[in-house]
Amino acid sequence: MSFIADQQTLDDLNILGKYKPNSLFSFFNEVKTTGGEKLLEEMFHAPLMDEDEINRRSKTFAHFQHCKIAFPFDAAEVMAMENYLDEEAGGNLVSLTFQIFRKQLLATLMKDEQLQTLVDGIMATIGILKAAKRLFASLSLAEEIPFYKGQMDEIKLVFENADLKNYLDEDPARISNSGIHLLKFDRLFRLKLRAAVLNILAFIYELDVYTTVAAIAERRSLSYAKALPKESNVFIAEELRHPAIEHAVGNPVSFRQDSNVIFLTGANMAGKSTFMKSYGIAIYLAHMGFPVGASSLLFSIKDGIYSSINVPDNLRLGYSHFYAEVLRVKNVAQDVSEGKQLVVIFDELFKGTNVKDAYDATYEVTAAFSSYRRCFFVISTHIIEVGNVLQQSHPHIQFTYLPTVMLGKVPKYTYKLTQGITEDRQGMTIIENEDIIKILNIF
Amino acid sequence: MVFTTDQQTLDDLKIFSRNSGDSIYGIFNKTFTRGGSALLEEMFRYPFSDSEIINTRLATFQFFAKIKTFPFDTAQIDIAEQYLQNVDERTKISADGDRTANRLSNLVLDDVNYKFIQRGVAALISLLKALCDFMGDLDTEHAPHQKELADVLNILGEEDLGSLLEVSAQERFSYARLSEYDLMLRFKNRLELKKVLLYIYHLDVYVSVAKVAATEGFCYPRALVAGAGILNLEGLYHPKLVHPITNDLHLDESKSVLFLTGANMAGKSTFMKSLGVALFLAHMGFPVPASSMEFSVMDGIFTTINLPDNLSVGNSHFYAEVLRVKKIAKELSLSRRLFVIIDELFRGTNVKDAYEATILITEAFARRKGSIFVISTHIIEAGEVLKESCGNVDFKYLPTVMSGNTPIYTRKLKSGITADRHGMLIINNEGILEILKNGKIT
Repeated sequence: MSFIADQQTLDDLNILGKYKPNSLFSFFNEVKTTGGEKLLEEMFHAPLMDEDEINRRSKTFAHFQHCKIAFPFDAAEVMAMENYLDEEAGGNLVSLTFQIFRKQLLATLMKDEQLQTLVDGIMATIGILKAAKRLFASLSLAEEIPFYKGQMDEIKLVFENADLKNYLDEDPARISNSGIHLLKFDRLFRLKLRAAVLNILAFIYELDVYTTVAAIAERRSLSYAKALPKESNVFIAEELRHPAIEHAVGNPVSFRQDSNVIFLTGANMAGKSTFMKSYGIAIYLAHMGFPVGASSLLFSIKDGIYSSINVPDNLRLGYSHFYAEVLRVKNVAQDVSEGKQLVVIFDELFKGTNVKDAYDATYEVTAAFSSYRRCFFVISTHIIEVGNVLQQSHPHIQFTYLPTVMLGKVPKYTYKLTQGITEDRQGMTIIENEDIIKILNIF
Repeated sequence: MVFTTDQQTLDDLKIFSRNSGDSIYGIFNKTFTRGGSALLEEMFRYPFSDSEIINTRLATFQFFAKIKTFPFDTAQIDIAEQYLQNVDERTKISADGDRTANRLSNLVLDDVNYKFIQRGVAALISLLKALCDFMGDLDTEHAPHQKELADVLNILGEEDLGSLLEVSAQERFSYARLSEYDLMLRFKNRLELKKVLLYIYHLDVYVSVAKVAATEGFCYPRALVAGAGILNLEGLYHPKLVHPITNDLHLDESKSVLFLTGANMAGKSTFMKSLGVALFLAHMGFPVPASSMEFSVMDGIFTTINLPDNLSVGNSHFYAEVLRVKKIAKELSLSRRLFVIIDELFRGTNVKDAYEATILITEAFARRKGSIFVISTHIIEAGEVLKESCGNVDFKYLPTVMSGNTPIYTRKLKSGITADRHGMLIINNEGILEILKNGKIT
């Protein structure tokens, strides 16, 4: 079973999207190779569901960060190698020979560039393999990163190959000049050792992702979450913040079996949405085994995440906004009632309806959801009255708010999560400050 | 006095828009000439706040409604416009330039300048003729735009230009004649001819707008003298809707605030937008999307329908709303009479604040005479209080009717405050609470 995160959640948290400048993917996408980018994308599309796997991955990142290893290959060379190996080889020596002969002929007769591309590809492969060999010889990656032991041994075996050993030391000038030499290398890389060379390439991609993510973690002072089995049912974070926002204010956040709901209030700009997004992103990244925006994070595996933040008023949609919202809540309710263990984030539930309805609906839905103790909820609202009622009967709900402080006439936001329900009534203060009523009474 | 409005209002009502097909301007922008299009835009930029000017323009549109085709050749207008634009003395052909050498060189190489003047003169002469013919057919005595008309008739009656009307435009003028005409048109009577062109652009707008009104089925409103705060609208709709449902509205001094409630999709915003558009067009003296309209002229219009969060400035949505209301309050305090539309007043704050603020602001608005306010809100409780405290608030709502599980929106205004509680009904219909109650609670 894979981690549940539907399109709206991914949009809310702005997780995927190579071309979206502020997406989480583009935040981490500093990889140098296209293969590395593909691998990163795969990781983003499939968060893990097994705590051992998660911890293994996050430990690998941590080791890379600890050793401060930089990506030791030339990206352009890797790409040339990639293209070269991707090209259809034909499968046997005869077709390989024919192809080289054809390319030589074309190059002589028509100044065709295919031959040069082939030469470049082979040279790049030689260069990369040499660099890889040096890397394995000098660096004891295997000792420093224990998980790599098996993979490393396998790759080291490739370099024991007698042909490869001899060939790698040859003079590069001879290769480009002689068809026989070209054929020799081409045959080695694309027929004999193809699988092994591709394996090394895959390793290089992994290295790309690990070094890149580790470097970002170092630069942004992110830390690694520890995954616990599902049954433990906790989420404990210190200084949780948005990983991509610099100088973001961190907040402690915790969920447990006996306190599985956060009821969040506060003014519009006080940072409710950012807080909820930060929490959602932390959950998602943690399940990927990626570094998170927190000083420490301990979490139990969940089945998925649902969020409703920034639901746009879509007038073109035939359904009303309210109805669409209801359907989504129903969707979540079904999953929750089937015993799925979810993280659910609702920002200003039912804001598209009149206050009485919104009040009743928010109260009933929050109360009903909250008895599912294996799910963690964050629910925000402007209807603070709901909180006052819930407070009396639901001890497992944590009431927190993001305060507004009036600095003279200007509201300031601390972004520090505070216990309780907001009593902030800056609304009227601001109106009074602006003297609107006085102005209106001038005739 | 100028009619005041601001960018927010123009954006809300989509008067102009980057994609002109979308905008209200785009609906009317069916002019034949580029100059007409520019003139139309100017009219959109500067609505009037004087009932007489508005009614005159409205009557002019109606006067030209019977003319189905634009009586000028647009290509010639372009040529004439370019020709008059060129005031470079060096391009003037001198009367003594008619030398054999020049002629010879003209034979070998076309003189571009000479050609340009030849075409310009011919275009202007034929335009003047066409205009004269057109005016001859016009019932000038009963035309509403007498002042404009008199100006143009004066120019056409001048001796210089009058003589040109006798000339055949097809004729190839001799060098001497051309230089004489060039001097007369481009230098002596330039300003007069520009006025003539401008009048042609006006005609373009009159004819094309009247045509739009006829094809779209718009009506010509009637402007009343400022002060009474009267607004009578029948069959109002939004011009961008394909199958619009129309609404009637009657406001005056005794009902100067419209308090609008209803569910989110019930059509509050659309109704308010169509109201704003009608008022805006009416103040331009343009036909409006309604079956009849009568209004006291206002000094300006301000709407707050899609107020953007100005996050980069760090203001909250609520603060943006407050500043907006303050701006409107300031305009009002200058004893201006305004038409004000505010959609979902104070939605960016907690309910208690929004409730109190809505009551306070609406009451203050209600005390201002001569202006009209349209306010929508989700806080129906505020309406109950206002019912007691203000006599001149008109309560209307847009109903939601449940057809089985699906809400149906009639989009027809009804009197009163909505009592629709379909929110909970929908939730119950979907059985969300049952699902949660019967689930595997762990």
